[in-house]
Amino acid sequence: MKESELVDIVSRKLVPFILLFGCYLISHGHLSPGGGFQGGAVLAAGITLLCLSRGVKDTLRSFPMRRMSLSESAAFLMILVVGVIGLVLGRGFLGNFLPLGTPGEVPSAGFIFFLNLLIGLKVGTGISLVLFTLLREEE
Amino acid sequence: MKRTLASLLLVLVLGAVLVFGVRQITPAPEALRNHFFRRGVEQTGSVNLVSSIYLGYRAFDTLGETVVLFLAVAGVMALQAGKQ
Amino acid sequence: MAPYLILALFLIGIWGLVRKDNLIKKVIALNIVNSALIVLFVYLGSLSGSTAPILVERLQRGARGGEAQSLEGLRRVADFVDPLPQALMLTDIVIGICLTALALTLAARIYRCYGTLDIRLLEKAAAQDEGRTEGDAPGGGPAGASSPPEGGPEDGRAGGTRRGGSDA
Repeated sequence: MKESELVDIVSRKLVPFILLFGCYLISHGHLSPGGGFQGGAVLAAGITLLCLSRGVKDTLRSFPMRRMSLSESAAFLMILVVGVIGLVLGRGFLGNFLPLGTPGEVPSAGFIFFLNLLIGLKVGTGISLVLFTLLREEE
Repeated sequence: MKRTLASLLLVLVLGAVLVFGVRQITPAPEALRNHFFRRGVEQTGSVNLVSSIYLGYRAFDTLGETVVLFLAVAGVMALQAGKQ
Repeated sequence: MAPYLILALFLIGIWGLVRKDNLIKKVIALNIVNSALIVLFVYLGSLSGSTAPILVERLQRGARGGEAQSLEGLRRVADFVDPLPQALMLTDIVIGICLTALALTLAARIYRCYGTLDIRLLEKAAAQDEGRTEGDAPGGGPAGASSPPEGGPEDGRAGGTRRGGSDA
């Protein structure tokens, strides 16, 4: 789908900043508007821009499908494991068991920060997989 | 032409019924919002109250939602829309 | 004024769902209905206040290194919007994404199989296919697409023969 050189060059310069912004949204989810779902959607949007400008086959060289699928399943399993750890430690399923720091800094609200990271990874890779499957041209 | 008139009639009837419901909108009671404002930060540690709700107080719904997203991704990959 | 606009958006989505013949336009109309409902819930939550539910003065006080003030000093209830409908609507947005993804995948499969996305032609083709499978003739393509379909005709007929045996 390599149609336009201009779109290709501009998107190659722009996509790292989009991915960085997505990581910022995920990691500051407990301090400002954002969180796992929003940051994951921005990550998937960055990868989709790469797909639209260079074709799915070139993008699959940087983000291989098997690795993305594996990381999505691993993030989902880690969410369940964290929930069960909360159950084992006596705070209820998906209960908060990490120490709460001072509110207003990034390491505070330990459990929510960790859950945001896992959900952001899962949503980002999941939506990217859907878009790879839908945008792939026939060989 | 007949189909357009029928669907327009359906939409107008639905709109008349729903306008009757929309006119009764009043603000919700403020007890829950005050509870989140007073106790949200010290119980979950997050300054963003929306995050403290869907990841702290009601994290089980978020788990169900990740299950739905996982099923959707698995369904799309199983149906394989792109391949011949 | 605002709830009536949301109602108008909802009715536009319902009209598009009922009246339009193309499958992709029906999926877009479904998305419009979903968005109207999300905006309605967030609007109902926003009637209780006027600022975003993020306690920014706690954020600034923590960032400057001062001690975290206890909540007795902030007992005065500020003018915050209700955060609960916004948290619930995050789930709704993700479910809208999943619904749209699966609907578009099914539409793409239907296009591969029948060569058209017009539901009137699809009804005729599906009725003829149902009559044909009872008569034990797996080789026939869908003859219901008599008018030229929107894609290549070879795709429709070739996809129809492999319909029964194609893997998931």
